[in-house]
Amino acid sequence: MSDDRFDAIIVGGGIAGTVTAYLLAKEGLEVMLVERGNYSGSKNVTGGRIYSHSLEKIIPDFAQEAPVERKITREKISLMTDDSNVTIDFSSTRLGQQGSDSYSVLRGAFDQWLAGKAEDAGVQMVTGIRVDNLIVREGKVCGIVAGEDEMEANITILADGVNSLLAQKLGYRGELSPHQVAVGVKEIIELPSEVIDDRFNCKDGEGTSWLFAGTPSAGKVGGGFIYTNKASISLGVVCTLCELIKANKTIPQMLEDFKSHPSIEPLLKGGKMIEYSGHLVPEGGLHMVPKIIGDGVLIVGDAAGFCINLGYAVRGMDFAVGSAECAARAVLKAKETKNYSAEFLQCYQSFLDDSFVMKDLKHYKNFPHFLEETPRIFDGYPGMAADMMTDLFVVTGNPPQSMTRMMMKHVKQIGLLNIAKDGWKGVRSL
Amino acid sequence: MNIISCFKVVPDEQDITIKPNRDISFEKAPMTISAYDLNCIEAGAQLAEAFEGNLIGVSIGAKKIDDSKLKKNVLSRGPESILMVADDFLEDLDTYQTANALKAAIQKVGEFDLILCGEGSADLYAQQVGAQLGQLLNVPVINSVNKIALMEGKVIVERSLEDEVETIEIPLPAVISVTSDINLPRIPSMKQILAAGKKSATILSALDVGIGDFGATLQVIETKAPEQKERKKDIIQGDSDEAIKSFITKINKVLK
Amino acid sequence: MKVFVFTEKVKSLLELCQGARQIGERVEAIIIQSQDNQDNGAADKVWSIPMQDGVMLEDYTETLAALLEREKPDLLLIEPSKRCKLIAGRLAAIFETSVMTDLIELTKEGEGRHLVYGGAAIRKEKSNNSLSIATVGPGVLQGTGEAGKGETEIFPFVEPSNKMKVINIVQKTKSSVDLPNAKRVVGVGRGIAKEEDLGMIRELAEVIDAEVGCSRPIAEAERWMPKETYIGVSGLMLSPEVYVAIGISGQVQHTVGMNRSKVVIAINKDKNAAIFGQADYGIVGDLYKVVPALVDQLK
Ligand SMILES: Cc1cc2nc3c(=O)[nH]c(=O)nc-3n(C[C@H](O)[C@H](O)[C@H](O)COP(=O)(O)OP(=O)(O)OC[C@H]3O[C@@H](n4cnc5c(N)ncnc54)[C@H](O)[C@@H]3O)c2cc1C
Ligand SMILES: Cc1cc2nc3c(=O)[nH]c(=O)nc-3n(C[C@H](O)[C@H](O)[C@H](O)COP(=O)(O)OP(=O)(O)OC[C@H]3O[C@@H](n4cnc5c(N)ncnc54)[C@H](O)[C@@H]3O)c2cc1C
Ligand SMILES: Nc1ncnc2c1ncn2[C@@H]1O[C@H](COP(=O)(O)O)[C@@H](O)[C@H]1O
Repeated sequence: MSDDRFDAIIVGGGIAGTVTAYLLAKEGLEVMLVERGNYSGSKNVTGGRIYSHSLEKIIPDFAQEAPVERKITREKISLMTDDSNVTIDFSSTRLGQQGSDSYSVLRGAFDQWLAGKAEDAGVQMVTGIRVDNLIVREGKVCGIVAGEDEMEANITILADGVNSLLAQKLGYRGELSPHQVAVGVKEIIELPSEVIDDRFNCKDGEGTSWLFAGTPSAGKVGGGFIYTNKASISLGVVCTLCELIKANKTIPQMLEDFKSHPSIEPLLKGGKMIEYSGHLVPEGGLHMVPKIIGDGVLIVGDAAGFCINLGYAVRGMDFAVGSAECAARAVLKAKETKNYSAEFLQCYQSFLDDSFVMKDLKHYKNFPHFLEETPRIFDGYPGMAADMMTDLFVVTGNPPQSMTRMMMKHVKQIGLLNIAKDGWKGVRSL
Repeated sequence: MNIISCFKVVPDEQDITIKPNRDISFEKAPMTISAYDLNCIEAGAQLAEAFEGNLIGVSIGAKKIDDSKLKKNVLSRGPESILMVADDFLEDLDTYQTANALKAAIQKVGEFDLILCGEGSADLYAQQVGAQLGQLLNVPVINSVNKIALMEGKVIVERSLEDEVETIEIPLPAVISVTSDINLPRIPSMKQILAAGKKSATILSALDVGIGDFGATLQVIETKAPEQKERKKDIIQGDSDEAIKSFITKINKVLK
Repeated sequence: MKVFVFTEKVKSLLELCQGARQIGERVEAIIIQSQDNQDNGAADKVWSIPMQDGVMLEDYTETLAALLEREKPDLLLIEPSKRCKLIAGRLAAIFETSVMTDLIELTKEGEGRHLVYGGAAIRKEKSNNSLSIATVGPGVLQGTGEAGKGETEIFPFVEPSNKMKVINIVQKTKSSVDLPNAKRVVGVGRGIAKEEDLGMIRELAEVIDAEVGCSRPIAEAERWMPKETYIGVSGLMLSPEVYVAIGISGQVQHTVGMNRSKVVIAINKDKNAAIFGQADYGIVGDLYKVVPALVDQLK
């Protein structure tokens, strides 16, 4: 290899890029990874939970070694209105079993750890450098341009995140449309770990994932989330961009209101905000996946649109890992035959098709549309649930009514037929 | 032409936190290059580039200064190599100890023409190590330099003092402390970062450079965050006309 | 305790000698003198080193060392100017010790306090050496006008081993603002987008009868204001009656320079800016809206 040439250049040091680089370097390829942040993880935002199944395959028992925060053993889902909150609380040992376990993570630490792994495997890490452009000759991507410098490679992998300007420059996709992205804002609030154990009812080292529909996103498509970390909690709000335009609130205001909600405020008491961040979430699902294979180039992770937003929960990190693995396999195959043409690299697509990445994306294919077309999930049902609970639990001294009568009163407001329709649509979209 | 840039590795001050008992904590503070030593490294790099000299970065400290990211960061800024004396025995040194350790390290480097120091270290900001090092090496030493013209066997420097700007000629070898005005430290490019990965760093222990008995000359009695003055913290949110009005009402009382 | 005092400027010598009286029973001053016997009323004794032609102040270091070696004072107090810091450092190396620099306090017991970690902490320390050396700014040791005997002895110049050649000296033009003595100070930071916007800040300062200072980046990175006007650990340490921070985030290196102000007022668009934690009054808003409104309504 000459000084100015690598086997593979990876743009973006998030999870997708780092895992790709790691896998390739481990097989002896000369790999460079370029990240514009001062270190991997410095610019990355996630809600906070990684499903371990994907990374487990690549780095077995990673959770023993990686700076994960807590193992999630408690799931809560709430329907929230301005003044009340109905919660389903699910805890099960099955949640923590190997294979289906998940962990809360903070990207600053987690991504740095992954980057360290990649570096140990031989990846040349270049941080603090933004890739401005790609070298393209006769339709073939031959490398990257950063400032005054150029660097060539047999293959370039774009892992530059949701807003992949490089994929846009290649013409593989257009500008993001408001229907394709949600906006997430998040705060990390520091609290002593014993306080977190108490307030969230967790055992040492175990944690809670808590998702909210309703008020957090002002009744628009989206939701709020809380993940417990070791000595902090991640708390945020996600709202679809096109809905945001209609909402009467800004996203930071939604977050403020969420934090001061009567059922949330006591959980945060005495905590200190140590980080605030905002980020886009790709949420078009399968409909959004752009062209991801070209001559000398592959696209992975968020940049490829591999992420699903269920409104109240976002899942993208395991897809980032999964797509990285498929891309690495394709590159290794290409290297064997020295053929980096788009045609040959189609094997990336078949690897994806066979993996959970495409299977899950297909499964949720219509789900984003279901959400957008069914605003009741966010603005009707939380209220209905709250009213039902109010009737059940608020004792006023009035003569009690039969349970069915009490409940049906609220159901009628939305309409039994609507509920049934929504339910049906929802199921079908899966 | 052998040039040495001395850089200190310090906890990043932005991440220093204060405990309730006013102790300071470095738990969350990664090690970083002391801010003004970026100017010192840059000055060395520019001179080395202009005179085909060889630039070495030298640092003294505890084991944790031997950090691969940090070394790469230094090397991407121009030095051909790094020499570190990294030993837990060398933690929290005073300036005399530091200057002595630097002298020992520099004697390992061998011949030198010019040693550069920063204006002051980000943690102590004593502005002393350069002066002490020059004296210990028994070579001319000058501080507060914001221009250096290198010539055969000598330098002409411009110093910026409180009331005057002074130009002086100094024979080499010499120790020079530079100000943060002397240059704008570079932002390393992709190729400079890549090249840094191939450069060498020598890490030595205190024993390797022959530093043995090493008493502190200053006894640190305590290091505490200053007590915060109680403030009213009457903060108005937003800049609507009414908000500004009520702000003005409040500050008017103070200003009257 | 026997204290020796050395300064660059005659004016500081008197002040520092008076301060030294608070620490030691005997105070002796060192001066470099072209004509002999200039009375220094505050010292018990004046050591006069004959001034040499074409020798810069720093090149008297060996002479000072010889004097200290012979007279063995317990403490040497030095003015914290750039030249003096270089001299102090070299002396410390000769006497195998370190200088306690930029003290904000010094006790009779020889314990000094100074800022470390950019002002985030104050360190208290004491010299382990028989000779302590400290640089202390004027005003730190509050002295009285008590007079000493003021006898004078001449100490001969010692030829330095490494002499430097001064080629040229140009006096700096001093800015006319007197921030340390201003009752009110407006401090402006990176929150302003361009140099011209200083105009509106100056207007506000005029309306409220204040002087204008700034944060370091405004002076050093942008160079929109003279270096002598930046406030903080490596700049000015102020304690005015009112300090108005405009577009300043409030990092510790800056706030140590202004947190002794009686009242602090802050204008910043980021509600999480650290400056609000140290302010008496504040507004979370765009300075481009707030400042003109203030000028308008405070006129
Ligand atoms: C609020 C929120 C909550 C979420 N919650 C979850 C969750 O709980 N669970 C989950 O699994 N997923 C969640 N996600 C989604 C998940 O975070 C993403 O899918 C995941 O981060 C994608 O990883 P990536 O490596 O593809 O992209 P990123 O992590 O975005 O990394 C892209 C990297 O490329 C770099 N880069 C960009 N352009 C350039 C360039 N030109 N040159 C060099 N470098 C460049 C960036 O700095 C960045 O480091 C959430 C997302 C958000 C925003
Ligand atoms: C060794 C060392 C010594 C130092 N010494 C000093 C020193 O003596 N003095 C000093 O000042 N610094 C010093 N610094 C630098 C210091 O760390 C900070 O970087 C500096 O004080 C920040 O200046 P700032 O607040 O003006 O800028 P920033 O930190 O960039 O803050 C700008 C602020 O303006 C606000 N803002 C932006 N636009 C608007 C708007 N339109 N309306 C209202 N608000 C707005 C922002 O919210 C932000 O809070 C030192 C650093 C080091 C390492
Ligand atoms: N531990 C160290 N290792 C290398 N250089 C140092 C060290 N400490 C101080 N220096 C140099 O001396 C200069 C002045 O430091 P100080 O006297 O601590 O303010 C710094 O800017 C560095 O160039």
